[in-house]
Amino acid sequence: MPEREMIGDYKGEVKNNVVTALFQAYMDVLDYDGLKSILKEAELLDLKNSKGIDPDESLDFFSFKKIITAQNCLLYNCSDLLFEIGKKFSFYLFPFGKKFEDIIEEINVLIRTDWNIQILEKTKKSITVRVEKCFFCSEIGISCDLIMGFLLHSIEKTLPPDTRVDYHRNKEDIKDPNHNTFVVKFNSKKK
Amino acid sequence: MSDEVKEFVFKIVVLGDAAVGKTSLINQYIERSFEEDYKPTLGANIIRKDVFVEEINASVRLIMWDLAGQEKYNVIRSMYFQGCVGALLVYDVTRYNTFETINSKWLKDFKKYVKKEGTYILIGNKIDLTAQRMVSTEDGINFAKKINASDYIETSAKSGENAEKAFENLVHQILKLQGQIK
Repeated sequence: MPEREMIGDYKGEVKNNVVTALFQAYMDVLDYDGLKSILKEAELLDLKNSKGIDPDESLDFFSFKKIITAQNCLLYNCSDLLFEIGKKFSFYLFPFGKKFEDIIEEINVLIRTDWNIQILEKTKKSITVRVEKCFFCSEIGISCDLIMGFLLHSIEKTLPPDTRVDYHRNKEDIKDPNHNTFVVKFNSKKK
Repeated sequence: MSDEVKEFVFKIVVLGDAAVGKTSLINQYIERSFEEDYKPTLGANIIRKDVFVEEINASVRLIMWDLAGQEKYNVIRSMYFQGCVGALLVYDVTRYNTFETINSKWLKDFKKYVKKEGTYILIGNKIDLTAQRMVSTEDGINFAKKINASDYIETSAKSGENAEKAFENLVHQILKLQGQIK
């Protein structure tokens, strides 16, 4: 894709395999018409046939953010679905067997914009993660369910199948414009 | 009255058997158009429309979930209802079985999965097919009363008759349920 002049907070680019993984997650959770609805709302219906796109190429971040904004508009009050989409997004983007540390390193590179995810602490039974300026939920009133589902599944798939992961974070105030910067602790235990 | 415009976001679902005209009804409401070819909805067709309710000086963002009538989507169906505050229960007046499943399936799903108190309207669609009609207006009215629907409306997604009324009435009923309209 040719270089484009970007404005303000929407600078950056997103690798096409991220876009494909997100679309696949939409397909799994909302099916074909759900995916189409989001792309139509984003005025990017042309991206619907993304199967043929080159995974090494990129989409400009402005367009990607339009998709996320459309998703957040249509999936208003749908925290369970957003969480499920986040899990599926991780499932399609990163194969089983990849270390969580590598996943975090890669997601920051694959989605290049003004945001960051970092591991603050890792012990045998817990991982503490800091998410900064998460664009999946940057709008006021939108909770961070998608990224939580993504992180939880990314940890879950590195652990034995008899392990359960839950998470703890301070109560989210979705009216706070900075609610998309937060720390979350994931704990794992035997089922 | 205050000049300040109140803002609301309402998520609603449109439920009913396959091919009763749910998607066509929405298309009439949004685009005032009708397609003769039947294309089944796969999963969830989700559409936004912003409406203004002059009576209370309010802007309402309506998020309409048009759910597939086919059984295969039952696994994830419960999640589709999350946050929903109203429903249009649609049957086809030319097919009696679609009238019967309103109570045995669609209303049951709505009551089971919608956690908050929600309101619903019964819709008898395809009234343009007069000669093939199997469910009478009287049956529709009586049934709406029986299931405590807040209204009964007969529509034609083909001609557009009452399509707008169905959605606007539902918005009105939701606002009423929330104490915004007397």
